Amino acid sequence: MGVLPDEIKPAMEGVIPAHVGTCSLDGIPNVTILSQVYYVDADHVALSFQFFNKTIKNVRENPRAVAWIINPETFDSWDLELEYDHSETSGPVFEVMDMRLEAIASMTGMTGIFKLRAADIYRVKSAVKNTDERLPLAEIDT
Amino acid sequence: MISEKLVEFIHGPVFMALGTRDEKLRPTHTFIAGALVNSDRETITCFVLQSRAEKILGNLENNGRITMTVGHPSHESYQLKGRYVSSRPLEAKDVAIQEIYRTKLLSVFLQYGFPEQLAKPLVLGFRYQPAVGITFRVEEVFLQTPGPGAGEKIA
Repeated sequence: MGVLPDEIKPAMEGVIPAHVGTCSLDGIPNVTILSQVYYVDADHVALSFQFFNKTIKNVRENPRAVAWIINPETFDSWDLELEYDHSETSGPVFEVMDMRLEAIASMTGMTGIFKLRAADIYRVKSAVKNTDERLPLAEIDT
Repeated sequence: MISEKLVEFIHGPVFMALGTRDEKLRPTHTFIAGALVNSDRETITCFVLQSRAEKILGNLENNGRITMTVGHPSHESYQLKGRYVSSRPLEAKDVAIQEIYRTKLLSVFLQYGFPEQLAKPLVLGFRYQPAVGITFRVEEVFLQTPGPGAGEKIA
């Protein structure tokens, strides 16, 4: 049995953007908003490498990262503790991510700007559901 | 000095996140439930849920390094990096800022086409209280809007 439970999968469908935190080797933290954290298997996720940005640079010198994702069905948020493992520029994970990124880009007016250069694969060290940052759905006036 | 344009942008509605790190360079993240650029235009106070603040403040007491990202549904976004100054309990005025922030954020989500059945529980379902005000001094600002200019230092 892996780290990621089945109930977390809807949070990785790209419906609600995720936050990803990293830190450079000289100790400067970085947080970015990402369109999707991709489920690879019960112990791994993939993040899109589109531009050579700070996140990409940081994890190649300090592999530790955190991600915050939200399930669009239950609105539960999860904290993932991650460790960068390797990058893939072809293969099934890359192909699926590329297709999904194109779909997200076309729905958000970012066609031609979002372009996948690599699928960065991370090992998931822990996945914790936050029980204290959301109101029960029944209490929300919708 | 934080530019007038950026002050307006931060006062929203934008979604916001705060990052710190511990002594082993492990990053920590939290969402921000409202923020205020102070009148000195050099510091920002971020309102962070109490349950998230303990670890964040431990890191900040240890090394002071802090980063804040602010993003609009249009994809325009910025990253502000700086040093921790202080923390404080929220005042009534701060809670009012949080309420305005939440209302404006919901409005912009709907404006950008998020379905109401998604946007309402998403935005209104976050706990905002009890919270802590974390103030930091902005030292650098980076463009983070997706595209070739992403990562460019602009202040």
